Amino acid sequence: MTIYMRTACAFAATAMAATIGGFASAAAQSSDYSTLPIDPNLITDSLAYSAAPFDIDPDGQQGVTAVYTHREGGTRTITTTVLILPDAQAAAASLNGAAAEVANPQTQPVPVGAGGTAVSGMSPDGTQSVTVLTFAEGNAATTIEFDGPPNDPVPPDMVVTLGQKQDTAIRDWQIA
Amino acid sequence: MNRLATAVAVAALTAGAVLTAPSATAASTPHDTTVYTQPAPIPAEAKVAQLDCRGTTGNMGCGPGWFWRDGWRGWACYPC
Repeated sequence: MTIYMRTACAFAATAMAATIGGFASAAAQSSDYSTLPIDPNLITDSLAYSAAPFDIDPDGQQGVTAVYTHREGGTRTITTTVLILPDAQAAAASLNGAAAEVANPQTQPVPVGAGGTAVSGMSPDGTQSVTVLTFAEGNAATTIEFDGPPNDPVPPDMVVTLGQKQDTAIRDWQIA
Repeated sequence: MNRLATAVAVAALTAGAVLTAPSATAASTPHDTTVYTQPAPIPAEAKVAQLDCRGTTGNMGCGPGWFWRDGWRGWACYPC
């Protein structure tokens, strides 16, 4: 099981707990989650990443997971998960522990969404660099995980840039 | 006979002048007065033009301290 899968499972389990109580308070929003993930090629040379088919409603949670793999032998992946929860409080709560699997973590607040946080470190087996960005935007809880070579972690400014674009896309989707 | 005597005399005069010159110089300058010039000192901070990681000006003009490769942003200049 990759660190992404463990992280996603923890994230989804927390989100599942936060969802209990129903979706009655959730605003009317489009159920087409496939438009939510931001393609990282928008901030690269436009050819670096290829997307796997999106996982709609991962683990039974409303939302989407998108995995983008770098063309250079798949040594870098970006996994974006956006979950739609009943309210902002549930969204913020669901992010607790989303980066628990990062070894030797260094946590930094980042200017992305509400409570934007970047946790950088290594995978538990030490074979990959890992950075997990988490933030909430209204009732949407987002994690973006960057897995790369152990000696080449994702540049922090790229984390912020992609996160801010993702945040903007979520806001646009929420008011659409 | 006269020619031979003249030639010998000229040779003797020439050899005498050559052989006696060093001793005359040595006698007039007993100490070495040659002025030796010291080489310029090496500056404390050597002037090095920093180039890219491969020691060139870069495939795509990345500039000093940068390296052209296929990284997180795709093909771009990245710090060394």
